[in-house]
Amino acid sequence: MTFDLSVITDHWRFLAYGIGVTVALAAASGAASLALGFVVALARLFGPRWAKHAVVLYIDSMRAVPVLVVMVWTFFALPILTGLTMRPFAAALIGLTVHLAAYAAEIYRAGIESVRPGQTRASLALGMSRAQILRRIVLPQALVRMLPAFGSLLSVTIKDTAIASVIAVPELMRQSETLAGQSFQPIEVYSFAMLAYFLILFPVTRGVDRLYRHVAHLGRS
Amino acid sequence: MNFDWSVVGAHRDALAAATGTTVLLTVTTMAIAVPCGIVVASLRLYAWAPLRAIATAYVELFRNLPLILVVYWAFYVLPIATDLRLSPFATGIAALALNVTAYNAETFRAGIGSIRRGQLEAAMALGMSRTQAVRRIVLPQAVRRILPVLASTWVSLFKDTSLVSVIAVTELAYVAMQIRAQTFRVLEMLTAMAAIYWLLGYPQAKLVDWIQRRYAVTE
Repeated sequence: MTFDLSVITDHWRFLAYGIGVTVALAAASGAASLALGFVVALARLFGPRWAKHAVVLYIDSMRAVPVLVVMVWTFFALPILTGLTMRPFAAALIGLTVHLAAYAAEIYRAGIESVRPGQTRASLALGMSRAQILRRIVLPQALVRMLPAFGSLLSVTIKDTAIASVIAVPELMRQSETLAGQSFQPIEVYSFAMLAYFLILFPVTRGVDRLYRHVAHLGRS
Repeated sequence: MNFDWSVVGAHRDALAAATGTTVLLTVTTMAIAVPCGIVVASLRLYAWAPLRAIATAYVELFRNLPLILVVYWAFYVLPIATDLRLSPFATGIAALALNVTAYNAETFRAGIGSIRRGQLEAAMALGMSRTQAVRRIVLPQAVRRILPVLASTWVSLFKDTSLVSVIAVTELAYVAMQIRAQTFRVLEMLTAMAAIYWLLGYPQAKLVDWIQRRYAVTE
């Protein structure tokens, strides 16, 4: 078995482009699912009864269906229903966001519910409105407690972007697959991809652990 | 738009067989990954330092890699590197098991680590051997904390089996997409695929919630 790294150095632009797309897709779907997840969590906690049922069905459905299925359906089937064609990147962004927002919503809910109800009652007694209580009393404590869970969600997000290769988004996984096929050097290319993903993901998981140790005491009540 | 849902019925045998393969992948992987996870966790907790470092490196590596890359790697690199010729199904099992074993090892390690050291020390002070103390005092409590996590890993694994479709394992995602390509009934087949996953996965997700409530540890 020979190990010839020239395939990596000769095509570093091609692979670097893939890393760029992976980072962009992870950042965009991460931010979008944080925003959508917050709305979903609010609907579940404070919405009318029908909204709660709808949201629980949505969250549990996303826990039941693979993200690959969501993405493939969004890319191939949704355009047939809507008549709008989508670029693979947009379909991957929508699929990932719809999937991950359900997990983000559960993190928000658990964080918000972890703040003891006595604090809400005390704030109500002091004359604060529901919105004020959420913003000034509950969220500042809840957000700190959510940080580790959001950290692992970020690492899940980065890993799930690799599934977008199935619908031909030119991210790192797809670029590696293409290059491995063209160069007939799968060992070198896939080992490079492993190293690249590990170097992206390891600091994220470690950074989250460290961040948590620094802020954990702030979340105590 | 005209839809022809009869295509789903016409291929029901193929879909049923593929669903069976998906379930078989899940069960087989878990059957491998639980004992292997216990071994890796024990190595990380109790073994000689170099072995402990290897176990830690293995767990950190596979927790920080996308599963789909592990699947491709197992398919293209493993046969060249080891001279093993495996079927796509066996390759899929190998990739899934490598991944889930790493997660299970962390689950077991965290479960055992969550039992305060004082309990082990108290048991040993009462004259139990280390093995006795671990088996009688630590493990029974750790199991209550491990089981709910294993249950949610199970559901993740059930969903992740769809990723081995990229190496042509004839499980549900692969077969549904094959039928889609042959019949051009894209929306019908992909919706049927999503519906089958949903029908199988939804009760599992609910069961996980129930297990988590049932085994909730209050301190």
